[in-house]
Amino acid sequence: MRRAARLALVGVAVAAPWLVARVAPGQQRYVVHVLIFTVLFAALALSYDLVVGHVGALSLAHPAFFGVGAYTAALLATRAGWPFLADVLAAVVLAGAVALVAGVPLFRLTEHAFAVGTLAFALVAWIVATNWVDVTRGPLCVTGIPKPVTTLPAWYWLALGALGVVLLLYRGMTTFRLGRALHAVRDNAPLAAAAGIDPLRYRMLAFVAGGALAGGVGGIYAHYLSVFCPEEMTIALTVNLLVIVFLGGVGTLRGVLVGAVLFTALPEVLRLAPTWRLVIYGALLLVIVIRSPQGLDGLFRRAASASGR
Amino acid sequence: MLMDVLEQLVHGLTLGSMYAMVAAGLALMLGVARLINFAHGEFFMLGAYAFWYGYRQLELPYAVAGALAVAVMVLWGLAYQRTVIRAILPRSWHVQLIATLATSIVLTNLAIIVFGTQPKEVPTALSSRILDVGGFRMAAQRLLVLAGALVIFWALHRFVTRTRAGRAMRAMSQNREACAVVGVDVQQVALVTFGLSAALAAAAATLVSPLFNIFPDMGTGLTLKAFAAVVAGGFGYVNGAIAASFLIGITEALAGSYLSYQYKDAIAFLVMIAVLLWRPQGLFGRRLGI
Repeated sequence: MRRAARLALVGVAVAAPWLVARVAPGQQRYVVHVLIFTVLFAALALSYDLVVGHVGALSLAHPAFFGVGAYTAALLATRAGWPFLADVLAAVVLAGAVALVAGVPLFRLTEHAFAVGTLAFALVAWIVATNWVDVTRGPLCVTGIPKPVTTLPAWYWLALGALGVVLLLYRGMTTFRLGRALHAVRDNAPLAAAAGIDPLRYRMLAFVAGGALAGGVGGIYAHYLSVFCPEEMTIALTVNLLVIVFLGGVGTLRGVLVGAVLFTALPEVLRLAPTWRLVIYGALLLVIVIRSPQGLDGLFRRAASASGR
Repeated sequence: MLMDVLEQLVHGLTLGSMYAMVAAGLALMLGVARLINFAHGEFFMLGAYAFWYGYRQLELPYAVAGALAVAVMVLWGLAYQRTVIRAILPRSWHVQLIATLATSIVLTNLAIIVFGTQPKEVPTALSSRILDVGGFRMAAQRLLVLAGALVIFWALHRFVTRTRAGRAMRAMSQNREACAVVGVDVQQVALVTFGLSAALAAAAATLVSPLFNIFPDMGTGLTLKAFAAVVAGGFGYVNGAIAASFLIGITEALAGSYLSYQYKDAIAFLVMIAVLLWRPQGLFGRRLGI
């Protein structure tokens, strides 16, 4: 039954462009564009949840890895003429390498100091992207990034394929022995260490994997928009990711996917200016963490267990 | 050359005074409530706009506009404690950090909506008057900032050591459970702490706004630098945070002038990460408490 439901969901996701064409033929371009954003944000949020939800490290550095990936792909494509797959792969590798180099010192910090250290790192990355004009063109943005596919439905399937890859990796890392080790580190690091699970190794693993995947998503994102600016990697991105992850349900696959869909659908329905959007997201985040820290997924589960009894 | 270095030193001391007043509030909150207020830079920003409104829009005298800003921010600090802080105080540090970060985002963007992104300038008679002492030039407002900061720190010290409320704050920073046992009203002390911290931020904003521009997203960087000072000064130890603030201000002024102006913030943040790594217990030892 559950298997059938899941297959049906995947079927709907793959067939979405056709469904949209049947239901809203006049608005197909716009709706598919929103769907592409939803899928890319879902992939990015899953990569973030690996770090925040599964090893419990509240990193605020994710925009830095997203930006490193985006700039890597954009610059390799525009200046060196690399093909799409090769430059996205380079984005994954370079973002992962940056996460590795930054993670070694940052994970010596604990709690607040870790959060502030990662936030400072993200700000340094943004300052460099804005001011290193010779390479990034600064506020003038990298423009003319080639598109590997041209039609919107093709872009949608490409993004969906990327989400599929991230999803498989996410599942693989958060279940089985590896997933239990990550959760042991999150729930009680000293106990995990006593049981022979090195907390630092697993934290680094999640941090580097999350950073590398964020870099890959960043690369695809830059190709899709064909322009990438330093403003895409500010603290606003961290807030978006926190809202998705905490709105849906931190540390749960279903929760993060629900969060991504609601998060990208909501502003389209409300039609808001970006500043009002951030005001509402911030207020929403505040209410969620205070009232329902498990997110919507926690509410579902509570409702399900209440009706099951 | 010597005059140039001196000018940068005075600039650094001005910056340091600003950071110190913000960092002292942050350290008070950390010491008393064991909480990092990520929205503290936004308290400064709101204080600056309150001052701008009183001075430029209502055309009040400088001192009256400053007092108005401080009063508004005290009310704001009390309201913030009553609503957000009270709800998150018993929760994990994860929840506290995300809740205060969310507050900072809401405030920054509300400020953009209300006041616009165009920076506001608040020149005063003192900020446009240049003192010239044997070739060494500085705005008179900088003297006011330094003198004001010294008076404020002296008053803060008196308050914390001599008054009943101040002693309760120090007691709470040492042992919250024991305070509750002997009948100190924990929420009440937290309330006083937030009012006082917000007042410090508003006072800093009133003093330095005539020298720098006011803009909506000035808070995030300020929070980080004040936090760096709090860490370097030994978590929650107010005097240490004040001393570290002056070090950061002077470093920033010299780095901005002699290394790179565009990268001065990046340099400050990298120095901060380095201090966190090198001495996680702070530059001035591991004493906890205010």
